Amino acid sequence: MTADQVKRAADAIAAEGTLVAPKVPTGLRRVPGGVDALATEHLVVNMGPQHPSTHGVLHILLELDGEEIIAAEASLGYLHRGIEKLAEHRRYHQIGTLLDRADYVSGFHTEWAYSMAVERLAEIEVPARAEWIRALMSELNRIASHLLWLGTFGMDTGAMGPFLYIMRDREALLDIFETVSGARMMFNYVRPGGVVMDFPLQAEPLIRAFLDTWDGYLDEYHDLLTGNEIFRPRVKGIGVIPRSTAVAFGMTGACLRGSGLPWDLRKTRPYGPYAELDFEVPLGTTGDNWDRYMVRMEEMRWAARLARQLLDGLPEGDFTAKVPKVLRPPAGEVYAAVESPRGELGVHILSDGSDVPYRLRLRSPALFNLSVVDEVLPGSLIADAVVTVGSLDIVLGEIDR
Amino acid sequence: MALDRLTGENSVLFVRSEQLFDTARRNSLWYLLFGIACCAIEMMHAGGPRFDFDRFGIFHRGTPRQSDVMIVAGTVNKKMAHTVKRLYEQMPNPKWVIAMGACASTGGPFRMYPNVVLGVDQVVPVDVYVPGCPPRPEALQYGFMQLQEKIRSTSEERLAARRDRA
Amino acid sequence: MPPDATALSRTLVSAGVEGAGVSEEALGVLARVPTDAVAGALAALAEDGYSFLVDLFVTDSGEALELTYHLRSFGTDDEVFVRAVAGHGAEVPSVWETHPAALYAEREAAEMFGLSFPGHPNPKRLLTTDEIGEPPLLKSVPLRAHHEVARPGIVRVAPEPSQEDEG
Repeated sequence: MTADQVKRAADAIAAEGTLVAPKVPTGLRRVPGGVDALATEHLVVNMGPQHPSTHGVLHILLELDGEEIIAAEASLGYLHRGIEKLAEHRRYHQIGTLLDRADYVSGFHTEWAYSMAVERLAEIEVPARAEWIRALMSELNRIASHLLWLGTFGMDTGAMGPFLYIMRDREALLDIFETVSGARMMFNYVRPGGVVMDFPLQAEPLIRAFLDTWDGYLDEYHDLLTGNEIFRPRVKGIGVIPRSTAVAFGMTGACLRGSGLPWDLRKTRPYGPYAELDFEVPLGTTGDNWDRYMVRMEEMRWAARLARQLLDGLPEGDFTAKVPKVLRPPAGEVYAAVESPRGELGVHILSDGSDVPYRLRLRSPALFNLSVVDEVLPGSLIADAVVTVGSLDIVLGEIDR
Repeated sequence: MALDRLTGENSVLFVRSEQLFDTARRNSLWYLLFGIACCAIEMMHAGGPRFDFDRFGIFHRGTPRQSDVMIVAGTVNKKMAHTVKRLYEQMPNPKWVIAMGACASTGGPFRMYPNVVLGVDQVVPVDVYVPGCPPRPEALQYGFMQLQEKIRSTSEERLAARRDRA
Repeated sequence: MPPDATALSRTLVSAGVEGAGVSEEALGVLARVPTDAVAGALAALAEDGYSFLVDLFVTDSGEALELTYHLRSFGTDDEVFVRAVAGHGAEVPSVWETHPAALYAEREAAEMFGLSFPGHPNPKRLLTTDEIGEPPLLKSVPLRAHHEVARPGIVRVAPEPSQEDEG
């Protein structure tokens, strides 16, 4: 635009003078009895399974009165692929492949929960080095998982920018995962007894380089979203989940901590090396979207600090215990859980002494976190429903299994 | 076709309209933003800054009405199959389907479970299969190059057939 | 901190749950209750602080179905398991009023094992549709056979006989 054009546009605006009130459409005046007498009805809207902000194939039925939600009901199972059934037909070493694909954003956690259950069942002593490697990779995976949540949560609130930034950092993390385990997503690295191969030397400089830049990057995300005047009103005071509701619906993880209950399995049921590490668990107060957002942001900071502690203190020794090729744990029942990025991820195994589990159940944190939508969404606006569902950080792979 | 080299000042380019449209089509393959399972994460990475599909004209759209390509990224089960079919029918012609990953191609590691559809080609016609579980973004990129090649060769075949008839 | 088995059985008896047997097993403290007493037992435990339902674990032992309710108390930081045995297709009272987390878990158990939970406010299928047929997690329901997953149109070519074999 040239200066001349700008001046002409400014003159035109000045010539128009004060704003003229818009005309009321004549159609509305013909309604007998006024607008209040209009016959309205509730509308049932399908959100999903193909919807850009349902994080996969979630399908929510919303009953709407205008923009307001009267009732909500989640319809699941668009990704139900029988992981629990298939696990009954696979040997203990082959099940990790399936569980990787259950929670595909945090594979190390799922593998660890499963391996822990099998180790307790078969009474396998895990070397310290293996536990530390597992914890190190899990904490890095926590950052990667929360980053993906951050990007999609930004998109839910209308911010495209953070998504492109988080992909930069996730690529750095996936390079680390690839160096250590050989795969970008489906690691199958944590196995019953330890880890499948030793922590490689060339991974350490990669992790240190990432951790050195990470705090600066996290501050950048705070600049992009936390202080954003468009973002804040969309999350503050929206989607409030009181502590009693969170407990009643079985919520765990950042959703429970956002509601103000200090429950983190790494602190309350310390597994692996977490009893020896120094870390804090961030807490929210009211349980709105803002609290869940801040809890996850702070968890990423603590995860990086934990990763640095784990990397500095990585003990020497074996990376796996001696485990037979065909594992036949004695008959029995066991439940083991880890604190995954979404909450308490538990594996419940019933063994009958054979080489395949009699029954394997995955306690999916996201399923219980999601079950609260029927309770919380009614009363909010449809645009806020997108943000509230986004703040729960669901992964449909482990919900539907 | 490097159009900028052919079109200097005052130059005129004669081309069959079909060829011109196909060139445009294969260089702006907009895909439907629709991830089913694990492969969707790699699909998102493909759109991210490192692989940057945007530079090939491959970009995501939120609605099937604006899309040319459907990437089926994940396991299709019996409940999902109806939705996939409906989404495919909502897309305007010409349209293509890429089956990304083992699950979309054959059912993958879950094919033994009765609820899983044995490959999305039992529901919609598939143009390109990308193997892997999940395929890396490079593999998906190669799949897109194969799709571009397929669009080019089918249009040339169509023209040759018409020339033969004439 | 493991809970006291005697305290647990006292809680159940005072709530009027008859025939409950409490034992300490490898899994944890486990109370076996009759099927129709499940709702009463969980209500009593909820008043005792076990208001958090961690999971509902159902397994098919061949003759019967075993339901294991995994409960946790945040106040005392301990966990108990409540187990009931029900026949195939049996009715188990819903516990959603005291433990709303069971709303989804019961719907899933119902379709996966062919159970029904009277009293559930929304007893619809959660994960599957009617197309799946038999409840898939029952032991009597098989997976697909290998010939069922074979891709039509893919022909395995027999290796050509080499020169030496012919000569």
